[in-house]
This record gives sequence, C-alpha cells and structure tokens, in this order.
Amino acid sequence: MAEPAIELQRCSYRYEAAIPALQEVSCGIRAGTWAAVIGQNGSGKTTLAKLCNGLLRPDEGRVRILGQDIAGQPVSRIARHVGYLFQNPDHQIFAASVWEEVSFGLRNLGFLAAEIEERVEEALALFGLEPYADHPPAMLGYGLRRQVTVASLFALRPPVLILDEPTTGLDWGATQVLLGRLAELHGAGHTVVLITHDMRLVAQRAQWVLILHQGRLLIEGPPRELFAQTELLARVSLNPPPITRLAQKLRTLGMRGDSLTVEEFYRDYAAVKGEAQS
Amino acid sequence: MRSLWEALFGVGPLEPVITIQNLHYAYPPLTAGAEAPPVLKGVSLSLSSGECLALLGPTGAGKSTLCLTLNGIIPHLTGGTFRGEVWVAGQDTKESSPGELSQRVGVVFQDPESQLFNMTVEDEVAFGPESLALPPNEIEARIDEALDMMAIADLRHRSPLALSGGQKQRVALAAMLAMRPQVLVLDEPATSLDPAGKASVLEAILRLRRETGMAILWVTQDTDQVPLVADRVLLLAEGRILLEGKPKGVFAQAEELRGRGLALPQMCELARHFNEREGTDYGWLRVEEAAHDLAEAIGG
Amino acid sequence: MNTGFDLYVSRDSWLNRLDPRTKLAFVGVSFALLLLGNHPALLAGNLVGVHILLWTARIPSGRIGWLWGRMWPLTLLILLLWPLFYPTGEPVLWAFWRIRITVPSVLQGVSAALRVDGLAFAVFVLLVGTDQARLVQGLVRLGMPFDWGLTLAIGLRYLPLLYGVYGTITDAQRARGWAAEEGSLVTRLRGYVPTLVALVIATLRLSDTLTLALAARGFQPGSPRTARHPLHLRPADWWWLGALGLVFSATVGLRLGRVW
Repeated sequence: MAEPAIELQRCSYRYEAAIPALQEVSCGIRAGTWAAVIGQNGSGKTTLAKLCNGLLRPDEGRVRILGQDIAGQPVSRIARHVGYLFQNPDHQIFAASVWEEVSFGLRNLGFLAAEIEERVEEALALFGLEPYADHPPAMLGYGLRRQVTVASLFALRPPVLILDEPTTGLDWGATQVLLGRLAELHGAGHTVVLITHDMRLVAQRAQWVLILHQGRLLIEGPPRELFAQTELLARVSLNPPPITRLAQKLRTLGMRGDSLTVEEFYRDYAAVKGEAQS
Repeated sequence: MRSLWEALFGVGPLEPVITIQNLHYAYPPLTAGAEAPPVLKGVSLSLSSGECLALLGPTGAGKSTLCLTLNGIIPHLTGGTFRGEVWVAGQDTKESSPGELSQRVGVVFQDPESQLFNMTVEDEVAFGPESLALPPNEIEARIDEALDMMAIADLRHRSPLALSGGQKQRVALAAMLAMRPQVLVLDEPATSLDPAGKASVLEAILRLRRETGMAILWVTQDTDQVPLVADRVLLLAEGRILLEGKPKGVFAQAEELRGRGLALPQMCELARHFNEREGTDYGWLRVEEAAHDLAEAIGG
Repeated sequence: MNTGFDLYVSRDSWLNRLDPRTKLAFVGVSFALLLLGNHPALLAGNLVGVHILLWTARIPSGRIGWLWGRMWPLTLLILLLWPLFYPTGEPVLWAFWRIRITVPSVLQGVSAALRVDGLAFAVFVLLVGTDQARLVQGLVRLGMPFDWGLTLAIGLRYLPLLYGVYGTITDAQRARGWAAEEGSLVTRLRGYVPTLVALVIATLRLSDTLTLALAARGFQPGSPRTARHPLHLRPADWWWLGALGLVFSATVGLRLGRVW
C-alpha cells in the first residue's frame, strides 16, 4: 500500500471573517496518483491546496506530506517537496528574461549552477520556450506566460505538484500540451493534484477526485463512481462531461451509463447493440 | 419586442448591424522604428440584428483585438496601423469616437474584477448613462431596466467586490445594457468563472437572445456551449477567418479545428467516432440529439 | 471581502442627508476653529460637540471607538511630552533636576492633544457620513475636475484588491522557495524585489484593463456628464452653512480681538 503523499487529518481553517473556509476535512492522496479537486468557488479548494504547502496553517488538525508533519517547517523548505502553481501567471512573473524566471525556484532552493543550467534548458525545451529564453516573460502572450510559470514549476521536479486551475484561459491545444507534460511527470511517479472546473479533463485524466462543498469534503473517489452520483452532483451544481451525461441517459436501454470518454462510450454501445441484435 | 426594436433603432431584424471589410491591424511597435507584426490580416464579417455569432480561435488569434475594433478603442485609443472598414450600426468606427460608439456597442471583458469600478451595483450601472449625460430620470429608468433584464435587481445596493464571479459578470452586462447598445460583444465572459458562474452567464446570454433583438458577438473557448446559443460560428486563426457558417457545418471540419488547437464539442467528436466506424452520417452537437438517435438505433 | 478604506456608515440620518459640500465646509471651519483656538476648554467643548453630533447621527459607538483606538497613543504621547519639552510660565507643579512641569505647559499639552483629536474627528464626521461617490461628486461640484475624482474613487476601490494581489504574489514566490526571513538585512530587502516587480507589473496590467473598461462604458475625459442624484443644497444645508459661517467669523473676530 503506497504511503499517502498528502494526508489531511481533520483540518479546519478560518479566514479573518466568521465563515470557516474548511471544516474538519480529512483526506489522503496516495503517492503517484493523479488527483483532481473540484467544487464551486468558495468551496475551500484553494484553502485545501494552500494547507498542503504551508502557505496556510490549519487552525485545527494536521497536515502530513510524504509521511511528515509539516507543522513546524517554513514554506521555503516545503517547496522542495511540494510545488504549487498559482492560477494567474501574472501573480508571479517578474524577471527580465524567461530564463531568469524559470530558474528562480532553483536558485532559491540552492541548486548548483550546472544543475540549474541543465534543468532550465530541459524545462524550456519541454514547453517550446527556447526561442523566448531571453525575452521578458511579462511581454509574452497569455498562453506563453502560463507556460513560463509551468516550466518554472517543472524545473523543480518536486515529488508532489499542486496546480490551481492551470488550464483556465488556455485553448484546447495548449491544454493538451500541458496535460501531456503532466502525464509524463505522473508516469515517472510524481503525485499530481489539479484544481479544476473542466469536467472533461477530470474524466480523461484523473484517477482520484475530491469534491468540496462549503468547506467540507463531500465525497472522494475514482471519477467513474463520482460522476454516477447524479443527485449529489446536481446538489452542488456540478455536471459530468457531456459524454457521461449521454451515457446516463441511455442507461435504460442497457448501456452501463458510466462512460468517461468517447472511445469507452462507443465500446459500450457496440456491445449493447451487438446483444440487442443477437 | 422586435417591432419595438425597429421603432427604437430604425434597423430591422436581419439587417447587418456590423460590417467589417478587409480589416488589417497592427498594434504600435514596442520600440520606435521596429516592425509590428499585424494581428488582423484581412478580416471580413457581418453580423445582423438578432443574430448570435460565436467567435472561436486559439490564443493569440486576434479575437480580443477584433472585439476592440468594434467599439472604436482600436484605433482611437491604441493607435497602430489600421486598414479596412468597420461599420457599426451605420457608423464608421474611424470617424466616430469610442464615446459615441459606446452607445451602439457594449463590450464585456473576461476579467470580472477589472471592469467594475464603482462602490455599488447601482452606481456601476449608472456610470454609462451618466457618461452619456442623460437626464437623471432617464438614468433611473435604464438602471431598473438593465437590472431586471439581468435578474439582479436584488443586488442593487451591494458592493460589486462582494459578489460571486457569475454575479459580477451579470453586473458588467447590466452596465452595458444600460447604454442600450444594438450590439453586445462578449470577450470570453465566462472563462474565468466556476461552473455555477458559467451557467449564470450562459443563461443571461440566452435571455438576451430571447428578449432583445441585439446582435451578439460571443468569443468563447467552451465549444460545448456554442451549439446551444449561436446562429453562426467563425474560426479566427492567425488574424484570418478560416471557417464560417452554421455550427453544424463548422464543427464538421474537425481536422481544421483540431489543427488550430480547438476542441470540438464532445458530441461532435462522438458523432465522428460513430461515422468512421459505422458509416453513419451523424452530426450531433448536443446531448439530446445524440440520445434521441442512439435510442432509436439501439431500440429499433 | 472587505470593501477597503471606507468608513462610511449607511444610515438615513441628518448627517447622511446633508450635502457633501456642507460637510466639507464643516471640516474647513473645524480646522480653522481648532487651529485658531487655544483654550483647552474650547477645544474640549468642540470634541464633546462632535461626539454629540455623531451620537445624534446614530453612528455606532464601535466606529467611534475604532478612531479613539487609533488616536489614544498619539494623544497620550502629546500629553506626556509637551510639558517636558515646553516648560513655560508659572506656577510650577513639580520640579526635579532640570525638569519643570508647569501648569500652563500642561494646559498647552492638553490643548495640543485636543487639537489633534479634534482634527481627526472633524474628518471622521465627513467620512463616516458621506459615501465615497457622493464625496467625489461634492468635490467635483466645488470645481475639482471629474477625472481627478474618478481617479481618487477608483484608487480607493482598487486598493484592497491590490493588497490582495500583493498577498498572492508573496505566496507564489514563497511557494517557489523564497525565504523572506533568512539572510542579512540586505539579502532580505533584495528578496522582496521579485514580489514588488510582479506587483508593479500586475498593477500596470490592471490599469490597462481598466482603461478599456472605462472607454467601453462611454467615458471621455473632459466630456460633460450628468449625475443620477444631482446635488442640491437643502434648507438644512443652508442652516448649517449659515451657522458655520457665524462660528467662523466669531472665531476669527474673537481671535483678532485677542479674547483668548
């Protein structure tokens, strides 16, 4: 049984106002999992994510990363193990060149110059940023700025990656590139946690899904099981992707009703049609 | 409702309210003397009263730039090199100021935070009419009208800062509606919102379609929603219009769309999957269409 | 989310109903009175009067307490230090070595403290009884260009947002390994540069988008505008302005006449 990469034990957090952002949330994400955290804005997704790298400390409860309680450790130390990508690339870009921006984290964490050189080159290559290495990142278009911040995160190669809505505002092509790179990291054993609103993405890639609602963990599990819970999803105003909704509509005709992708749906359909004809 | 529209604006339904002919545009270069790459390279399109046109395209295609040419911000506030013609509600945008054009075209931008700058929703919706120097009782009437149309009358005295993303965008829409534009340009209004916010904005657009004769230019990345709302679809890539037509026709051109980095609506992908394997000719865009056809296919 | 630097208390009280220009005049006359007047009893009376005004305007005591919470350290400091630094006159209350505490200097310290408090409360009356939009409108009617007023109003509205952005940027850089607390003073100061640069860039982007939004809303600098609720001076305003005028002339006259 793989050790949980991220474990929250009855964590609560309250911002200055009276409303609690997170109430007694307990969850575990196993190492090497690709997890998705979904829920409406205000449900506590970002709070949960920030508890995982020490940006916020729980009022109650404990947070363990890779088996260790992170309570006493400064954020800069936790950053070695947990990489965090903020939603808006413009909330971190500052450097005079893309190279400098991508190397920022590595320099902070004290990597040697040769290692920094190698990792930055690699990260730039992964995202097609080599032509822009000397450009100021702030002057690039939105899609490229997003890629610069992702490259900056990738260069650190942390065991756990948390990304807050990395695909919002990206076109589909850029989204697929990003997901492809994440899949490579995931394949190499990294734990990936994605906060997202994109249900097609969740259906396509996530192995484990957590649904938050009003500061509580409503349910967690594999996407297939969660998307089947139609009343629960309706209650929190979430919709499964169109293909899953279609499959659910055709359940009465014998289809399994839990398809997550177009290919799966077709296989299910072909099987049912074959049976109906025989 | 439509005849009232004609009486107010003198433009009947189905008459072009936007005409763009051979538009070329490049922003001014960052350093003097440098070459500025053109962002729009010969765009032509027309949009009629009552029509909703969905504008798709990869990031950097020039969609936001195109939106800004419609209310005169380009070229009047941005400078740059502008060639071609843009006619909005009978006015040439080169000749009219953005202030004048704002009475004919409303633009709602993607970021809910940075387009609301007043202390209350009421003040926000009043700002446009106040800028047009309308008399106070007219301003009040327009505020009521706009808030009702967007179903946010209960938010009248709230601060825009305290609202949800979906509510903020509805306030932005109301603020534009108070100018009584004939054209509404929506530049990815729901992209940065959560699912509830996206649904709220979609509902608002549908309501505008039903209850007004406005022409709507809707820039969006969410192709699943397009068939629910749009009459026509345009694909803009690298400053040119590559595809144009009804949703079914445009989404049938899968290779072109995928090659440009755009997703098909998932039902459209499913239809292609079926057509390749079963030799059928499905053209589904919506879940209901597919459910209907497949139920027949299995059952019958 | 907090709505920023807004002291305004929304009530339907006589204070809220007064024209903002009247309230600005109140601040102006108060300042004149406080700077010209000297006698502690007068200044104390002014402060008491202001509190009565606030009470009749149904301003919650919590708000008044908030201002006192910020003023008392300064008040105390003035009360303690003034007699130490400006010993004058007779009779002497207490003497030790070279420190002389005299009655007149204590009274002057009290006056100075009350003056500072009075100034703060005068502005407080204005801000607590006038919402930002009306205040800007009042200033514009008095001759300030609308663009300045809009800049002021937008600035106030966006300050909390920018403060939030600063917090986010700080978090983002810390999540990339920036250790704000470590190193020498120089190292720590230099460590803030990425955060500050990112904030400046974000602010510039915000102002860009705001410009587009303003233009899209028909705003043209220098063009005539109307106001949804135009300002009118009502009878209550004229009474107040008259009273303030009287108080002002009396103050100046009595001061010139060296009554105190």
